[in-house]
Amino acid sequence: MTKPLEGIRVADFSWFGAGPIAGKALADFGAEVIRVESEVHIDGLRIGQPVRPGQEGYNASGYFNNFNPGKKSFLLNMGKEGAREIALRLIEKCDIFLANYSARVTENWALSYDSLSQANPKIIAAYMPLQGLWGPHRDYAGFGSLLTAIAGFNHLSGYPNRPPFGVGTNYPDYTVNCGHAVISIISALRYREKTGKGQMIELAQVESTAATLGTALMDYAINGRNQTRAGNRVPHMSPHGAFRCPDEPRTHPPASGQAADRERWVAIAVATDGDWAGMCSVAAGQPFAADPRFQTLLGRKQNEDDLEAAISAWTATQPAKELAARLQAAGCPAGLVQDAEDVLEHDEHMKARGYFQFLDHPETGLSAYDGPIARLHGTPGATELPAPLFGEHTFDIAVETLGYDPDQVAEMVANGILS
Amino acid sequence: MPDTSPGPLEGIRILDLSTEPGLYCGKLLADMGADCIKVEPPGGDNARGLGPFFHDEVGRETSLTYWYFNTNKRFVTCNIDEHDGQHLFRELVKSADVVLESFTPGHMESRGIGYEQLKALKPDLVYISISPFGLDGPHRDWKTADIVTLAMAGVLTLAGDPTDPPNRMFGNQAYISSSIAAAEGAALALFHRERTGEGQLVEVSMQEALSIAQETAMMTWDFQKTSRQRNGELIRLPGLGTYQSADGYIYSMVGISGFGAPWTVLLDWMDDEGKAENLKSDPEYLEFLQSMNMRTLTALLMDPDAMAAKAPILNRIQEIVTAFYRSKTSMELYESGQGRRLLIGIISSPKDLLENPHLQAREWYQTTEFRGETVTYPGPPFRFMETPITLRRTVAPVGAHNLEVWSGETGVPLADLELFLSEGAL
Repeated sequence: MTKPLEGIRVADFSWFGAGPIAGKALADFGAEVIRVESEVHIDGLRIGQPVRPGQEGYNASGYFNNFNPGKKSFLLNMGKEGAREIALRLIEKCDIFLANYSARVTENWALSYDSLSQANPKIIAAYMPLQGLWGPHRDYAGFGSLLTAIAGFNHLSGYPNRPPFGVGTNYPDYTVNCGHAVISIISALRYREKTGKGQMIELAQVESTAATLGTALMDYAINGRNQTRAGNRVPHMSPHGAFRCPDEPRTHPPASGQAADRERWVAIAVATDGDWAGMCSVAAGQPFAADPRFQTLLGRKQNEDDLEAAISAWTATQPAKELAARLQAAGCPAGLVQDAEDVLEHDEHMKARGYFQFLDHPETGLSAYDGPIARLHGTPGATELPAPLFGEHTFDIAVETLGYDPDQVAEMVANGILS
Repeated sequence: MPDTSPGPLEGIRILDLSTEPGLYCGKLLADMGADCIKVEPPGGDNARGLGPFFHDEVGRETSLTYWYFNTNKRFVTCNIDEHDGQHLFRELVKSADVVLESFTPGHMESRGIGYEQLKALKPDLVYISISPFGLDGPHRDWKTADIVTLAMAGVLTLAGDPTDPPNRMFGNQAYISSSIAAAEGAALALFHRERTGEGQLVEVSMQEALSIAQETAMMTWDFQKTSRQRNGELIRLPGLGTYQSADGYIYSMVGISGFGAPWTVLLDWMDDEGKAENLKSDPEYLEFLQSMNMRTLTALLMDPDAMAAKAPILNRIQEIVTAFYRSKTSMELYESGQGRRLLIGIISSPKDLLENPHLQAREWYQTTEFRGETVTYPGPPFRFMETPITLRRTVAPVGAHNLEVWSGETGVPLADLELFLSEGAL
C-alpha cells in the first residue's frame, strides 16, 4: 500500500521538539524529510538525555532519536557564505519548508517567505516560532517549559496550595504544536493540489498552545472569572482523581532519589449514575457505597473531601492494576496510573496493537520509538527506520538531490559549509 | 445553503457526531473552511450542558465550552438510535465527505452506520473514529475520561509534587491531543483522496495519541530501566524555576548554556536597580556567578559533597534573586527580562492572556455578538496567508439547520420532515 505523502519532500529546518515531531509525522506517512542541522547550531536534543549507560555523542540521545525516525540528516552551516544558496536550492526541490526558530534567526538566514517563494512559488512554508513572525514580543525566546508558563498551563494546572510549577513536561511541544503544524501543512498541501497555489503558514506557538485552553479564556472574557488551579477535581464529575493503592516492589533498582518500592495509583472518573453504580458494585460492602450522601453527583460534589477520603482508604487495600480492570468490567471509567515501564513493557493492550516500534539504530541498538499518530486503514503510516546519524546523508543529498558534483561537495565540506 | 466559506478545506462536508473527545477535531476542520454539520441527538448534545455558561445562565445555547468547540459549524438533529434516524443519516452521508465520531467501538456498526456500511453508500468516504483505546485489542471496550487516558498513556504520573497525587493537566488535554491526532489523520486522508479519489477509515486511539507526550520517560525506561516520576519542581537552583513576583508568578530559565543571556546579565540588571546586595562586589559570589550555567549547576547537583560545600553561596544567591523577582510585576519581569534576552516567562492566568499586549497587537482574539453583547473568542492555532481562518458561525440552537440541511440539501419532503420531528427521528 502506498503512503499518503509519497513523493512529497520536506526541508525540515526545525529543532528541539515541536518542529521535529511534525516532521516525524510527515516521514511516518511517506514524505522524504531532510533534517537540516549544523554543529554550530546543534539541536539541543542531540546532546540531551536519556542515553544508554556509557554512551555519548550526537547519535545516542533517545530524546532526539524518538522525534526523528526515518528522516535524513543534512549538515549545512547557515553562518557560512554560500550556505543560503544551498538552502534555497534544497527548498526549490521541496514541497514543504518547516522551521521553528525565532523570526530573528530565519531573517538572519534570509529565509523569509518572500525568498522562499521566489525560489519555489509552490512551496508550503510553515514557520512556527514561539511568538510568531511579528508583534511586540516577536523576539522573545524560550523553550517548551517557558511556553507552558506563558500560554496559561502552569497557572491552571496542579493543586491550589502549590505554586504553579507546571505540568511535569513540555507538553505543548509533543502533541499540540507539532500536531497543529501537521494539520495546517497537509491542509495547505491539499489546497495546493486543487489550486496550484503554495502559501505561508504562521504558527505562533503561544497562540497554538493558548488555543487549547479556549474555554477558560472565554470564561474570563465573558464572565470575568479568572480560573485557577483546582487539583484533579472537575465540576461535572465526582469522584474524579488519582487514588493511591498499595506500593509494589520494583522490577529494577530505583533511580537515585526514588523510593525502594514503586507507588501505585488508579485514576477514577465517575460522570454518570451508571458509572457510580458500577464503582459501588466493585466496592460492595464499603460504607461509602451505601452512604446516602454520595448517591447523587450533587451530593458527591458537596461532600467531596469525605468521599475522596473514603475511597482512598478503600483503594489503599486494593492492588491497582486489578482494581482498574474490575472497575472497567463494572462499567466505571478507570485506569492504572501507568509509568513508562507499564506502558512499554506491561500494557498488554498496547503490545497487542503494536503501537511502539523497535528499530535497530547503529549506535543505540534495538530501541523503542513512538509509532504513527493515527491509523489510516487505506494508506497506513509506519515508523520504519531509526533516526539518522548526525550528517549521515549530507553527501547523498548534495549530489543526488541537489545535483552538485562530488568535487563541488568536497570543496563545500573543506570550506565548512557542509559536513 | 451549503457552507462554501473559503479555506483550505473549502468544499469538504463533514458530519460531526463527535462527543467531547472529538469536538476540537470538528472545530479545527470547520475553522479551515469545511462545511461541518454537527449531528446531535434530539434535545442536543450532552456537551451543551458543560459549563461555564454565558453569565452563568445554564441553558442549551449558553455553554461556553460548547461555543468554543463548535465554531463555524451548522446544527442538525438526528436520532441515530432509531430506525428512521439511521435511514436519514445514511441519506445525509451520500452528500458528505467525512464522518467524524468518538463513540466506543461498535456503537456505529450496531446501528447500521459503521464505516463498512457507509462505504457501500459513499465509496470515497473518509471516516474518522476516535476511541478510548482503538478499534481492537484487549481494552477495546474500556471506557475512558480525560484523566483515565492521561493515566493509561503514562502522562499523569509525570506531573505533580511527590507528596500529592499525580496531577491532571488543565483543559481535557487527552481530548485535545486526540482531536489533534484525528485532524492530522483527516487532513492526510483528504489529501490522499484529492490525489486518488480513495476514501478510508482513520482510527485514533486516545491512549496512543497521547503516548509521545511522555516526553523522555518512555526512552528513559528503554535505555536505563528507570521510570521518570513526578518531581514537582524538578530543579530548584538560583535563576531556574518558578518565582513569585509582586503580582503573581514568573518562570525563570536563566543560565542555560548557549540559550538566552547568562546569569551575569541578570546580575547586572539587579545591580543597576541596587538590588544585587554584595553579589557583584564580593569576589566569591561574583566568580561563582560568572561561571554559573546549566552545566556547572547540573554537575553540582550530581555531586552531593560539592553541593553541600556550595550550599551557603547558593542559598544566599537564591535569597537575593527571590527578593529581586518579588519586587517587580510579572509583566515587568517578562518584558524587561526578555528585553535583556533573559529567558523569563510570565505565568499567565486567563486574565493575563486576554490582556497580553502581543496577542492583542496580533489581533488574535475574535469577537462576535450574542444578545447584543460583544463576546470574545480565542483565535485560531495557526494562520494561513492565502486562506485565512475567520469566525463565520457560532453555536445555534439545537436543530437550527434542520430545515435547510434535511429539506433543502438532502431532499426530505417538508411533510416527512414534520413527521420525523414529531416521531423523534430528528
